[in-house]
Amino acid sequence: MKKGKITMIITIGIACFALVTVMMMQFKVVNETDITAIENMQETELKTELANWKTKYDEINAQYEEITQKIEEYKNDEKSNNEASKLVQEELEQTNTLLGLTDVHGEGIVITLKSGEDVTAISADDLLIMVNALKFAGAEAISINDERIINTTDIVDILDGSFIKINGQRILEPYVIKVIGNQSHMESAVTGNGGKVQELQTLGHTATIEKGDDIKIEKYNGEIETKYIE
Amino acid sequence: MIFIAILIGCILGAILGLNVPMISYTYSSYLAIAIIAALDSVFGGIASVIKKNFDLKIFISGFFGNAILAILLTILGQKLNVDIYLAAIVVFVWRMFMNLGAIRRYYVEKWSDMVKNRTFQKKSKEEKDKEQDKEYDQEMK
Repeated sequence: MKKGKITMIITIGIACFALVTVMMMQFKVVNETDITAIENMQETELKTELANWKTKYDEINAQYEEITQKIEEYKNDEKSNNEASKLVQEELEQTNTLLGLTDVHGEGIVITLKSGEDVTAISADDLLIMVNALKFAGAEAISINDERIINTTDIVDILDGSFIKINGQRILEPYVIKVIGNQSHMESAVTGNGGKVQELQTLGHTATIEKGDDIKIEKYNGEIETKYIE
Repeated sequence: MIFIAILIGCILGAILGLNVPMISYTYSSYLAIAIIAALDSVFGGIASVIKKNFDLKIFISGFFGNAILAILLTILGQKLNVDIYLAAIVVFVWRMFMNLGAIRRYYVEKWSDMVKNRTFQKKSKEEKDKEQDKEYDQEMK
């Protein structure tokens, strides 16, 4: 009887001990946990939420990287396209320049021709020979009275040499021939023994040559049309 | 005697509980329900001691069994999204009040008995005194 009572008392004491231990632990936890901050959410819920967001973030990040890569590719493409179009543009400009479809300027000479009073007027042939000689000497751009000489240009006498038409336009004296090219080559092509200028001068026409460092030659004003070239 | 045991257990428990490392907040709700269950068992134990029908096996199995059952119910409730632990708390607290009532009744009765006895003893003493007085008077006569 006495022994049973002691066991009973010890058991209840141990029970109390365990109970209060756990209670104190719980008090500590409740005290130190900021319940409002996590808004009644359980830690597991928060964990799963966090994991969800992480996967979402990863996915979106992957997408973002993919798109960035694509943009990079497109940019590269654009760059190469740009380069290509630049090249084409340059080519076009060069072609236009060669065709005489652009205003050009550079060093060269200006030849002014005026017919003498008592002799037959300067004919288209004279001009043709002159232009031919200049081209032979390496002229890069030629114009007569601001009519640009291009590959379709015609220089013809109209009404038995009463006037000259260039590019279908009637031109009148004095004839101002502007040439861009090496100055000395140009000059020597038309002057000197056998030169056209020399010849015209001996025939009694007035012909002067001026050198210029910045001669401006206007572009061809008409349109180049082709009907039969396929 | 039993109160000394309870007091020592509480003090030791408090000291140990305050020095134990923190547990995760996740288990806080399970721990709380376990505490209620254990508290109920302890009160039940004290009540049974008073009623003189204390059984060690029943006490220990109740102490742990109730706590574990309460925790399991709480887990189940969380899985089902039903607050089952509320029902457990209601039952435990109700039983706690019952046991407390039994303990209270026992001590109140004990105390009132004590008071009654004391007054009875006083009365009997007075009567004895009176009798003695009477005897003394008679002798004197």
